[in-house]
Amino acid sequence: MKLPTNWSLRFGLGLLGVLLIVALTYVVMRSGPLAPTRVTVTQATVGSLSPSLFGIGTVEARLAYLIGPTAAGRVSRVLVDVGDTVTAGQLLAEMDPVDLDERAAALEASIARAASVIAAAQGQRRDAQARSVLAANTARRYVELGAQNFMNASAVEAKQQEHASADAAVTTADANLAAAHKDTQRLEAELAGLQQQRDNVRLRAPAQGVVISRDAEAGSTVVAGQAVLRLMEPESLWIRVRLDQGRSAGLIKGLPASIILRSNPSVPLTGKVARVETTSDSITEERVALVALETLPSGLSTGELAEVTLTLPATAPALLLPNPAIRRQADQVGVWRLEGGKLHFAPVRIGQTSLDGQVQVLEGLKAGDEVVVFSEKDLSANSRIKVVDTLAGSKP
Amino acid sequence: MIDAGIRIEGLRKRYGEGDTAVDALKDVNMTVAPGEVVGLIGPSGSGKSTLLKCLGAVIEPTAGRMILGGQTIYDDGWKIPDLRALRRDSIGFVFQAPYLIPFLDVTDNVALLPMLAGRSNDEARARALELLVALDVGHRAKAQPSELSGGEQQRVSIARALANQPPVILADEPTAPLDSERALAVVRILNQMATQFHTAIIVVTHDEKIIPTFKRIYHIRDGRTEEEVGQGLSL
Amino acid sequence: MISLAGRDILHSWGKFVLTGIGLGLLIGVTLSMAGIYRGMVDDAQALLDNSGADLWVVQQDTQGPYAESSSLRDDVVRSVLGLPGVARAANVTYLTMQVRQSQGQGEARDGQEVRAMIVGFEPGQPGEPGYLVAGRHITRSHYEAVVDVRTGFALGERIRIRRHDYTVVGLTRRMVSSGGDPMVFIPLKDAQEAQFLKDNDAILNDRARTAANPALNRPGVPGLLEAIQASQAANHNVNTVLVQVQPGVPAESVAEPIRRWKHLEAYTRAQMEEILIAKLIATSARQIAMFLVILAVVSAAIVAFIIYTMTLGKIREIAVLKLIGTRNRTIAGMILQQALGLGLIGFIVGKVAATLWAPIFPKYVLLEPGDAVRGLVAVMLICALASTLAIRAALKVDPAAAIGG
Repeated sequence: MKLPTNWSLRFGLGLLGVLLIVALTYVVMRSGPLAPTRVTVTQATVGSLSPSLFGIGTVEARLAYLIGPTAAGRVSRVLVDVGDTVTAGQLLAEMDPVDLDERAAALEASIARAASVIAAAQGQRRDAQARSVLAANTARRYVELGAQNFMNASAVEAKQQEHASADAAVTTADANLAAAHKDTQRLEAELAGLQQQRDNVRLRAPAQGVVISRDAEAGSTVVAGQAVLRLMEPESLWIRVRLDQGRSAGLIKGLPASIILRSNPSVPLTGKVARVETTSDSITEERVALVALETLPSGLSTGELAEVTLTLPATAPALLLPNPAIRRQADQVGVWRLEGGKLHFAPVRIGQTSLDGQVQVLEGLKAGDEVVVFSEKDLSANSRIKVVDTLAGSKP
Repeated sequence: MIDAGIRIEGLRKRYGEGDTAVDALKDVNMTVAPGEVVGLIGPSGSGKSTLLKCLGAVIEPTAGRMILGGQTIYDDGWKIPDLRALRRDSIGFVFQAPYLIPFLDVTDNVALLPMLAGRSNDEARARALELLVALDVGHRAKAQPSELSGGEQQRVSIARALANQPPVILADEPTAPLDSERALAVVRILNQMATQFHTAIIVVTHDEKIIPTFKRIYHIRDGRTEEEVGQGLSL
Repeated sequence: MISLAGRDILHSWGKFVLTGIGLGLLIGVTLSMAGIYRGMVDDAQALLDNSGADLWVVQQDTQGPYAESSSLRDDVVRSVLGLPGVARAANVTYLTMQVRQSQGQGEARDGQEVRAMIVGFEPGQPGEPGYLVAGRHITRSHYEAVVDVRTGFALGERIRIRRHDYTVVGLTRRMVSSGGDPMVFIPLKDAQEAQFLKDNDAILNDRARTAANPALNRPGVPGLLEAIQASQAANHNVNTVLVQVQPGVPAESVAEPIRRWKHLEAYTRAQMEEILIAKLIATSARQIAMFLVILAVVSAAIVAFIIYTMTLGKIREIAVLKLIGTRNRTIAGMILQQALGLGLIGFIVGKVAATLWAPIFPKYVLLEPGDAVRGLVAVMLICALASTLAIRAALKVDPAAAIGG
């Protein structure tokens, strides 16, 4: 009988046809625009989060010195090198004094000459005084003799005039001596000034520190204010952190900081906000905080990049959601709430955010509300959805 | 005799025109009564093929008259409008090979004709089954043609020719590939059917084995027919 | 009346199904080709959608930021924000480059490279990825990245962009450039730096070059060289400002004053689409359209040949059918039905195949139901058209061929 073959053939073909139709239906419904969007959901839970601030900083020295001359000149010698530790007042470098020493010698000679002038003035004074005493005695005797009429009156008057002249000569000698003293004082003052200038070309360490750069060598000419050497105090190293203005709420002095240095990312260091600068950068829209390290690691270098996380105090308990749940519809911020298999957009007000992606929801949601977190594409109120556990796992 | 069977008078067929015209049929006259089996024999080039095509309502004769089952088909240049329907309803064909439709089973091969004629499927299949039983292949009704033996296939093809109860059946070399025993069997069947279904059967052949079986034979030579009395050998 | 076509199909179903599958694979290729084109358009659309902008403000006389390069000062956004009708505006940078896996994450994953579009965005502003499939949004202002899953990077992995390592904190999907490169989202400041900061050697060379310039390194002006070098390293440029207009305000009314008074170019969504689709992917689109046409012609030819050979194989049966009085219409119907049946099988196989292999393509392949329907209609038309050749051949068969042959 051939009947069964025929039947099985028809059955097989029918099965094939059905299979094709099923495959087509599956394909049409499961892929492309007709397919439901797969989403994952979570429930809003009450909790508190510890918000943190994150910024990038560079290691800087709080106390750094730029050592250079006050006047243009040539460097005559540099006594220290990069890395040398120096003490306060130590001579570090010297500028070429040019003619300062010679001018000092000339002044010293002038001062010596001025001393001779004083001596001469003193001699003249003594001579004048002696003449004055003699003239006084002679004049007195002539006055007595004149009274006894042993002398005529004109002779007496001549001797009196001589006495007055001698007195005047003494006054002149006094004045000469005073002028000679002043001259000496002037020269001495000039010499002192010159010595000050001479001292000024010697560059000395203002404080104890480490030489971090040697910018000019003996023989090179530097202008006033240009650095010959740079010093810094190693104990004053801190980190200048730049924080995004938009994410710097709660930045205050004293916040604990966790610091990861570029050179050693595996060891986090601890520190504290030592200063928050009151001006912030309007171009980069960043605030600046300075974070002091608790213990300075050895070999810390300035300019090194550091990632700094500042920990803010934990917030009061509130509804928390992961941040991918927060969506934006037109000009509203909200979440997609799942209610009876349908999506509703619920506008919410959000509060603080933690670095691990938790967001406080202040208004617009109740605890236990189911909310879409991840979705394969943008959602709308009439999206067909399918709730799954995960959309894309992380690779091992 | 006029109301059934086939009658041909003065049939002529000319191919081409003018100087190149060829007269394939010059004067053909035939009469076959219902229930009668006649032979039509002739050498190649005699006009046998042309006559067969005229009889089969595939080509039209240039002149002459043909009456089939009481219906005038051709009359001096006039022809009935629908030759296709005529072939379907009034002429049965049996070919050299069975020429069954390979994708239809045996029943449907036979039932196709009644179906084409507008019968319902059930009616057509019932008629087919009846014929198949009559031709002794009823047990193969559901088989595919490719599953049948040559003899069975030929019987099915005869059943198909009979399906619409045509007044005439044209059998074109139906025994050519068969040995004499089977050839004679086919002729026997044709004779039975002619009697049973009251059909005029024209067997075109040059098969020496079966020529003696005809009571009447038409010889066609050079476009003209000559009627002969055959041996009418009993089967 | 029984269905001759159906019986024939049932009779030689093996041949029919195999032919159908073969044809189906070809149709699958055609559908995929259309899908690739749609994917390109969709990539462009996705790029625009994901930016979340109504208006793109770019450098004057450029068609940036996607089709041409555009450079703006990053404080332009403030003056844009001050315009009436602007709800939100944000700076964004785009940079296409190779993104590497950072060293030291195990042998197998070291140095894996992906071509990606780096997007520098400001969190919470337009330009931010609208949805994630895993992880979280960026919360730190530096060195975090959200990547498209197509990059192949996983959560927690570290990737290297120019001078810095970034931690992958979130994964998103369908965030691609107009070229189909997956996106990597990083904070704007990092992106600005990445865009303009060079490698160490280049920086040192630049410094030396500046220092060697006597006009810039003047002995009498201490600090000048340092200031110049610092200004060279800083970058305050962005590629575009994305603007969201207030609801109800037509984007063009905001764009007009920007063009007129800010001396910048501003494109609305429609104009941007025009740039992306009409200009950026026009050549590729034409290329694909060309291919589609060829595929359609090839498919049509193949269907025509298949049906034609199938018909030629049945010439004797057709002659018999005609001789026994089958109408031409019935025979033509039989061939047409077979062609359509073949087309239908082919279409279904093609659609399924195209859907199954679409995700394997490196770039996005979007199979639109509309395209599928159009494809079905086209396949049916092509099959009907292709069957005419066979129908003509069948109708030319002389019923006399069955007899007297």
